[in-house]
Amino acid sequence: MNEKVLLRNIDTPGSHNLAAYQTAGGYRSVASALADFTPGELIELVKTAGLRGRGGAGFPTGVKWGFVPRDSGKPVYLCCNADEAEPGTFKDRALMENDPHMVIEGILIAAYAIGATTTYVYIRGEYTVSIERMEAAIAEAYSNGLLGENILNSGFSHDVHVHRGAGAYICGEETALLESIEGRRAQPKFKPPFPAVSGLYGFPTVINNVETLSCLPHIVERGADWFNSIGPERSPGPKLYCVSGLVRKPGLYELPMGTSLRELLDEHAGGPRSGRLKAVIPGGVSAPMIPANDIDIGMDFDSLAAAGSMLGSAGVIVLDDTACIVRVALRIMEFFNHESCGKCTPCREGNAWAAKVLRRLEAGRGQREDLDQLAFLCDGIFGNSFCALGDAAAWSLGAALKHFRDEFERHINDGKCPYH
Amino acid sequence: MANITIDGIELEVPDGTLILEAARSLDIDVPTFCYQKRFAPLASCRMCLVSVENSPKMQPACATPVADGMVVHTASEQVAQTRQSMLELLLANHPLDCPVCDKGGECELQDMVFKYGAGTSRFRDEKRVFRSRDLSLNQVIIFNANRCIQCQRCVRMCEDVVGAVALGTIEKGMDSEITGFENSLTGCDHCGNCIEVCPVGALMSQPYRYKARPWDLVETETTCSFCGTGCQLTVSTREGQLARVKSKYETGVNGETLCVKGRFGIDFINSENRIETPWARRSGALEPVSWDEAYELMRHRLGQPDQIEGHRIGGLASAHLTNETLYLFQKMLRTVFRTNNIDSSSRWVSGVYDVLPGLVGDLYTRQSLENTVSADAIFAIGSNITDDNPVTDYLLRSKVRQHGNKLFLASVRPSRLDADAQAHLRLLPGDEAIMISAVAEMVSSSPEKEPPPAAAPFAEFTRKIASTLKASNTSSVSVLVGMEILRATNAGQALQWLERLLRNLQQAGKQVSLQFLFDRCNQFGAWEMGVQPNHLPGWRRPGDVRVSEVWQAQLPPEPGVDVHEMLQRCANGTTSCLYLLGSDPVSTYPDRSLVEKAMSSAGFVIAQASHHSETTQLADIILPGAAFGEETGTMTNNEGRMQLSREFRPPIGNARRNSDILNQIAEVLGHKLSGSKLEDTFAEIAQLVPSLEGMSLADIGDEGLLCTSQGQTEDGQFKELPLPSRVDRSWNSNGKLTLVTGESRFHASYVTEHSATLSSISSQAYVEIADTVCQELGLKTGELVTLRSPHGETTLQVKTNRQFPPGLAFVPENFARQRLNELFKNGEYSSPVDIIPNEV
Repeated sequence: MNEKVLLRNIDTPGSHNLAAYQTAGGYRSVASALADFTPGELIELVKTAGLRGRGGAGFPTGVKWGFVPRDSGKPVYLCCNADEAEPGTFKDRALMENDPHMVIEGILIAAYAIGATTTYVYIRGEYTVSIERMEAAIAEAYSNGLLGENILNSGFSHDVHVHRGAGAYICGEETALLESIEGRRAQPKFKPPFPAVSGLYGFPTVINNVETLSCLPHIVERGADWFNSIGPERSPGPKLYCVSGLVRKPGLYELPMGTSLRELLDEHAGGPRSGRLKAVIPGGVSAPMIPANDIDIGMDFDSLAAAGSMLGSAGVIVLDDTACIVRVALRIMEFFNHESCGKCTPCREGNAWAAKVLRRLEAGRGQREDLDQLAFLCDGIFGNSFCALGDAAAWSLGAALKHFRDEFERHINDGKCPYH
Repeated sequence: MANITIDGIELEVPDGTLILEAARSLDIDVPTFCYQKRFAPLASCRMCLVSVENSPKMQPACATPVADGMVVHTASEQVAQTRQSMLELLLANHPLDCPVCDKGGECELQDMVFKYGAGTSRFRDEKRVFRSRDLSLNQVIIFNANRCIQCQRCVRMCEDVVGAVALGTIEKGMDSEITGFENSLTGCDHCGNCIEVCPVGALMSQPYRYKARPWDLVETETTCSFCGTGCQLTVSTREGQLARVKSKYETGVNGETLCVKGRFGIDFINSENRIETPWARRSGALEPVSWDEAYELMRHRLGQPDQIEGHRIGGLASAHLTNETLYLFQKMLRTVFRTNNIDSSSRWVSGVYDVLPGLVGDLYTRQSLENTVSADAIFAIGSNITDDNPVTDYLLRSKVRQHGNKLFLASVRPSRLDADAQAHLRLLPGDEAIMISAVAEMVSSSPEKEPPPAAAPFAEFTRKIASTLKASNTSSVSVLVGMEILRATNAGQALQWLERLLRNLQQAGKQVSLQFLFDRCNQFGAWEMGVQPNHLPGWRRPGDVRVSEVWQAQLPPEPGVDVHEMLQRCANGTTSCLYLLGSDPVSTYPDRSLVEKAMSSAGFVIAQASHHSETTQLADIILPGAAFGEETGTMTNNEGRMQLSREFRPPIGNARRNSDILNQIAEVLGHKLSGSKLEDTFAEIAQLVPSLEGMSLADIGDEGLLCTSQGQTEDGQFKELPLPSRVDRSWNSNGKLTLVTGESRFHASYVTEHSATLSSISSQAYVEIADTVCQELGLKTGELVTLRSPHGETTLQVKTNRQFPPGLAFVPENFARQRLNELFKNGEYSSPVDIIPNEV
């Protein structure tokens, strides 16, 4: 299947305008959802479709919606997580820049399903075009009766606000995102309570990723069976893959879930730049790298998890044989060190020390004990950090050490980086 | 209930119990840095990670509630390894400058590494250094960022408990640093609770800096001598000298918190104004004399004991003194001087003593403040609690934020607690009575009565509070009563209506409790000890047979007069002798011209005090008494809890313990007052104060002594009470402001003016006015104005306040040299004032 679903409008001139979206059939799904479905039926539909969250964790969307208490008497909030900050990831940006109305339509369907009155779209601050396009599209939707009071005469009302992030990776973590919207310091909060029960301002809140929400109009239009038939049984649906790094044709590819990593690289992305692959990071820098020999693997949640990595945000970073793994590990650890929120001991202290050691190693001033030190840091951080940020840092570094220990040793033995 | 297993021990705990609490209940040590009971769990330090069977990851014990069937391991190799790893990571950047760190020897990080840490570190790279010199954040707080371990206890204390939100965190990750705006805390409360909860030497006390090593200190547990909250303090001395004041985790009504006054103000005992020897007026001038000379002079002036004319004598004692001292004082006045002219406060109006018994009996809380503030609804009237009883403010804020119980505030001045209240009301002194009467009527009627017309300005507030108090899910109500009420001319009426409100609630099936918010640490004790004209110890009426029996003395049968009448009588020549024990009416009495006239007209003024004051300068005899910490005795706090105030050094110079002085004077005059031991005096008190029946001094344990009330319950037949009327404020329409006074954030009564540390934070009085009024007058904070009332004027700095009602002017009463009482007149609180900008 190479039919474009999420990217079907992307090549249409002016695709970000309401007129273009409606010409292509846009907003019919939400009309159908409001007219033909009860909220409960929508939740069932999405459960049956098997849609799993595209933000990285892959949690079943319908199940998440089902956690929102019914008739609690409290307002319910929907947050659209558009803080796409995982290095190597640019799928949500493409959707918001080119098809913002599809995102809004997805928001409306989700909001109706969970009974939300208000949505906050939390967009990464650097995404200036996304912010402009989303704000313009929201204004268009308001003036055409697609947002606000009594949408499409359904009796359902909904407001959408854009919240612009100020540049911290941690804001993509859902509880930190909520803290940030509330105007507090963005740090993850302890769960339970889960946001579905006590989230934004203490009220039930669902946080869904842009791509997840964008799948909804298509599920409503074409049915759960259609969605379910794409890709593997437990991770179905169309999927956006962001391919970058040392690769001949970097870019955004829409392919079914479960497409093999080798197919994605060789048949679609033109293969590694030098022609000789060293490793692939399959799901943004939080995902452990996979050595070249292991790329016959399905790009879906379960297959990658079984292989000790993860689909994450599907930010596929290609490393050919000119890449220095120590430098890659350093670059990644510099990122996590910079983005650690500072809340918990292992992530705050551990990432900083790992970066210090890697800087020395890459500069050719490493010692044999440094590898033990790095291994200790990976052990000390992994599983002990408050949120997934620290785990991701340790996991990524651990994979580099496991698969490419020889490169680290060469840096120590040679007293310099063999690649630079 | 949940059945769980920790380290092989099975136990049953209530649902929602944290693993940490369950483990600690078994005396299993689970180490923590970021956890403190008072704060919502943060789970950030990761020291408390424990293994939970069938859980993929280790769980933070401080934040994870138990689940039925849970099996927890706290002593496994994995847990031990993790603790060691966390400590190795924390030490990686820690400077390890323990030899020059004030915290060395009592540092949680040191102790934790000693117990759980590795002997060596793998890390050899350079440590992070924020700055090489410590940063002075204000007069009392100094900061070393390099030592900080980011537990955020200080930040949470400042935000969630103190409510100041002065401390926060800047930057992120390894660069995270706690600090105030622009690296300064000069605008904060200076309470030092951030220092108290800092586990390491990051936040430190400036006054204590480099003074001592912890192991060289002698610690004395005692009770704070400022307000009525009755916080427990640990006073540390080194070689007899005061080194610092600390609070202890989970100890006393205050737990680990204190206010700036309690933590930094105790150095008032070291003031140069201390009186070190007796003085006597000879040929018009005061000169130092020996104790024998002083006593001899007293005997000479007072005449033969059997000739003493009780009605010509009056006594006024400070409610800062211990129960035993106060008890002996009133006993001496009643038995030796044969008078009931006794009082304990100069700031309040007449007419409250008659109505007090109904409030201090069965209605009075006599339970922990923690319980009092846990009521479903809390109604606090007549206090800026943030300034009057800061630690009570902390407890209220913490409780209301965590449990969502409902707080209502009605006060003259705005306070920080307003933000946490369901509703707050600004009123002027004297309007409390009408407001309370409206609520009392509304809660007793069904369907709900409209507030009476006179209470119309408070209608919205009274409706809100009445509907909450009546609601079926409000089963307990606490009423907190501040000192503003006692200053107003119709205080007696307000208190009567307050009792009516509480009785009405009681009849409606609510569990009610009342607590006064005293600004003096032992005001409740002073009342109970009989330091009042209408009641003997234990609220007994004059003529009480039991008292005569115990004292074996003939007692004056009629009630005495209060301070106002005493001063009037001095001024008109019918009273000739005043005995002032620790009180300074010349500075505090709200009518300067009357008190000065009284002092100069009285033939013989005895001032027994620890510090020189304007009052002592007008006395005929000055007797140097011990200050706080120089004598031991009991104090009764707002809860009605008796606690010990302990001696941590002997009285300075030739000063003597106050009870010794009283015993000696009685002896000189041919009487024996009591046994010389504290235990004897306490035993005698226990014979007369019903709530202490059968108690001895030894019954006052670490948590003090909370006696249940012996008070009588009313029979339910309520007398008709006249409806109060509004106080005349017609001056407000003439552009005049209403001048009020009270406690300020950094000072307590007139005592802390003698504290060098508090004076370095706040050294002079100011007038606080609404910002809108300041704009009209073209005034900015810091500019000088003259305040003119019909009775006098004074010049001070302006402080603008956006929360202030436009008709109000506030001047703190903490600065004797401001002579604020020149602006007030007896029986007229408050005063109209003009604000006159000074010419530049």
